[in-house]
Amino acid sequence: MYIAILFLAFFGLLGIGVPVAFALAGASLIYVLVSGAVPDVVVLHRMVNGIDSFPLLAVPFFILAGNLMNSAGITNRIFGFARALVGWMRGGLGHVNVGASVVFAGMSGAAVADAGGLGTIEVKAMRDAGYDRGFSVGVTAASSTIGPIIPPSLPMVIYGVMANASIGQLFAAGFIPGLLMAVSLMVMIAWYARVRNYPRDAAFDLCVLWRATQNAFLSLMTPVIIVGGILSGMVMPTEAAIAAVFWALILGIFVYRTLTPARLVRVSMETIETTASIMLIVAGASIFAWILTSNRVTEHFAALVLMISDNPIIILILLNVILLVAGCFLETIAAITILVPVLLPVAVNIGVDPVHFGVIMVLNLMIGLLTPPIGLVLYVLAKVTNIPFDVCMRATLPFLVPLIVVLGLVTFIPSISMFVPTLVYR
Amino acid sequence: MQGEAPRNDEFGFHLEEKPDPPFEWREFGLEDWPAFLVFWGLTVIVFLQFFTRYVLNDSFGWTEEAARYFLIGTTFIGGGMVCRRRAHIAVEYLHTRLSRAGSRRLMIVVDVITIAFLAYLGWVGWRMIGMMAPQKMAVIDLSMSWLYWVVLIGIVIMILRTAQSLLHRLQGDSPYPGDI
Repeated sequence: MYIAILFLAFFGLLGIGVPVAFALAGASLIYVLVSGAVPDVVVLHRMVNGIDSFPLLAVPFFILAGNLMNSAGITNRIFGFARALVGWMRGGLGHVNVGASVVFAGMSGAAVADAGGLGTIEVKAMRDAGYDRGFSVGVTAASSTIGPIIPPSLPMVIYGVMANASIGQLFAAGFIPGLLMAVSLMVMIAWYARVRNYPRDAAFDLCVLWRATQNAFLSLMTPVIIVGGILSGMVMPTEAAIAAVFWALILGIFVYRTLTPARLVRVSMETIETTASIMLIVAGASIFAWILTSNRVTEHFAALVLMISDNPIIILILLNVILLVAGCFLETIAAITILVPVLLPVAVNIGVDPVHFGVIMVLNLMIGLLTPPIGLVLYVLAKVTNIPFDVCMRATLPFLVPLIVVLGLVTFIPSISMFVPTLVYR
Repeated sequence: MQGEAPRNDEFGFHLEEKPDPPFEWREFGLEDWPAFLVFWGLTVIVFLQFFTRYVLNDSFGWTEEAARYFLIGTTFIGGGMVCRRRAHIAVEYLHTRLSRAGSRRLMIVVDVITIAFLAYLGWVGWRMIGMMAPQKMAVIDLSMSWLYWVVLIGIVIMILRTAQSLLHRLQGDSPYPGDI
């Protein structure tokens, strides 16, 4: 019965706007004090232990690498490269938008960073070329969700730590689903382009492509270092992250010379802020999850769900619905830390690999970033492009269709996710 | 070749780069600088580990443990910055449904709850320092209570910064979700 107090306190605190980290830890503290089952020092001890983990070190360094890349001005180089590569198609800039997001996904681990940095350039270029603002924003928002599916990925790191799954395997597992998302979006764009007769960009020119490649070459090495290092199984995610930081510093300080001391300080402070807010949530979730597991709440929940049905297909659909709804209301990292201990036992029970479930979960939560009422990506895009929030929202809705199709494929065909990790690690 | 910035017209669109605002020390709080040091200390340590493992083929044993503790330090000291800038991740749905005044009043409640929770956590931290005194770190020859000192200092900074935010709100400014 004390568990009811835990949940009531948690949802109450969360609902009125207490920071997720303190809602998790605060509800746990209330539970510990009321039930008297364990001494109160356990709360802080579990919080500190929860972030005392080597894999979590990937978090600050992927954030730092992404921030450095954004401030070093390499996003325009990547955009230029993508433009020379796929701009000749009908609806060219739409395809460029997706292509640039795929490349950027190989460097950055968060959809919001993708939307805030690259998104500004993408929307501006499309508007200048005469595309309507709805289409511009819709494509940009939808393509930014590819970021955390293709490695590196902050949500995957957090999932790996909470689920005790290999982060390297999770990264590898996201690779093909991420490319599938890009393809599905490009199909959608091609269809739009035919129906609405969108223009083509400049015709394909090998010389332009060559120059754009030269211009972007050193920047393009970043995804090669990160994705290549991880997919080859040569480096651990944390090491890939620190290598990316090192490379970004060299590019920013010595090659492009865009990284002034003032910028470096600002970027560091931003990184610390983001890191601390994410890690505090992980700390709070650690004590919360510990109470759930030690009281066997998660076991009971799994048994309850399996009582409804033991048909894997129905349960997978149910899990997807829960995740989609949660993704509409909760921030990604918070949703992962709360839902992994509750939902993972159910998934494992019907024979879903934890790595596969990680891809399903993150993909669901990414779609949640595009839907009201919270829709963090839409919120960021509305802010950086000065396009009203509800215009962004309506414009993005059609693009949910290809993403949900990919979600269905990824959910029911495990080998889409498991092919690469099996190849690399097993 | 790569040193040159791409000419904008080369890609067919013009992108004006906004110049950075001038650097001002006031942008940052006092607690940002210790967080800054801990964070770059962390970066150097992890780089050292990477370097010793791949180049010298023998990583320094203390780097892994030190890195984990520095990450905890970054989290709790950096937490002060999060509280000051009101950069917490929170569910803001209810606040989008409330009037400005209602949202502000509710945020005052939220700040009070946050302070109460952190104060209790700080008291726990204080006792943990005593309890951990005899326990040594795994590789580094220091008492675990050092780590909990850092945690406690972080909690105290978070309390002070949240109290400051509460004060601002009581004076009537800063709607939620808000920048100070």
